[in-house]
Amino acid sequence: MNGQTTRGARLATAAAATEAAGDTQVDTREDAAAAVADPWVTIVWNDPVNLMSYVSYVFESYFGYPPAKAQKLMLQVHHDGRAVVSSGPRERMEVDVQAMHGFGLWATLRQSGASDGGASGHDGGAA
Amino acid sequence: MTPFRSAPAGYVARWDDVEREVLGRVARDVAELVRAESGLEPGIEVGDGVAFTGVARVPQDPAVQRLLPDAHDEDADVAAEFRHLTQTDLAAGKVARLVAFADAIDSPDELPDDPRDGAELVVPRESAQEFAGALTDVRLVLAERLGLVDDADVETLHDDVLAGIDDDVDDTDDADDDPDEDSDDAPDEYAGWERVGLSGRERRYWGGVFVAAGFAQESLVDEMLAELRAGRAEA
Repeated sequence: MNGQTTRGARLATAAAATEAAGDTQVDTREDAAAAVADPWVTIVWNDPVNLMSYVSYVFESYFGYPPAKAQKLMLQVHHDGRAVVSSGPRERMEVDVQAMHGFGLWATLRQSGASDGGASGHDGGAA
Repeated sequence: MTPFRSAPAGYVARWDDVEREVLGRVARDVAELVRAESGLEPGIEVGDGVAFTGVARVPQDPAVQRLLPDAHDEDADVAAEFRHLTQTDLAAGKVARLVAFADAIDSPDELPDDPRDGAELVVPRESAQEFAGALTDVRLVLAERLGLVDDADVETLHDDVLAGIDDDVDDTDDADDDPDEDSDDAPDEYAGWERVGLSGRERRYWGGVFVAAGFAQESLVDEMLAELRAGRAEA
């Protein structure tokens, strides 16, 4: 689980999506808009065992988030019980969830458009 | 046990023989538990994966369920598919790093001149994440066994373990299975560990292991995080 590789892939995907959206006509753009508006998210849930420093380390090392963003997400998990830590296509979220499980964090994936009790309201998008 | 400190060779701490022995044994037990509960056959390596077994068994033990949790909290089909595709690799990875952790602490890098100093343990940087991950899995399983369900449970356990160091004389009567004097003023405090059926002595023992593993992990991760940030700042 190499954070740099993962992040690079995600950025490349985002760049490709932006390029595609700029090049296509109106009718196909609606599909792209629907896909962008309804991505999947990775949610990390609170637990009483994992150390705050460890959760910060995971968010910084795996996602490549800067310390401030990692800390904000970590505190959100701690205080709100969960936080959206990444978003994107389902396949990417499955990779992220599996990585979180590898680290020992409790994570789930969900389609962000689904009824989720507000989990999608947080700013947890990819850096 | 001393805290891990950054050194040229890696992260260095001193662990007493009993600390190495107990944590190593627990890690091997957890590895065996994960292997059995997840349906891993002995000898399966990381990457042999799904095609080998096809069926990822849903763990029955709540502690292993925590290590290999459902990936969707509402959609059972999504969770089952995810488990089918990923569990074998995930479980094999956890087993491998738990065994590596136990091997590493079984064979410390330098035995002390005075045994009371504890053996020197060097965790190379390239394996520090795996070492910390193994400590996480050990702590998650111990927490389940100790009935720790929220932050207050963990804080209470910490307080009790630290206070218990002075209470050892009380244990000469085998503790009488009494939940200690604290239960009088806060009966609900012990709901967690009473639910899991531990005696006071067992709770103190396993609680001590949990606290020691947390101490080791926290000092290790603090150093890892500091170096990660320093490396970023330089880049």
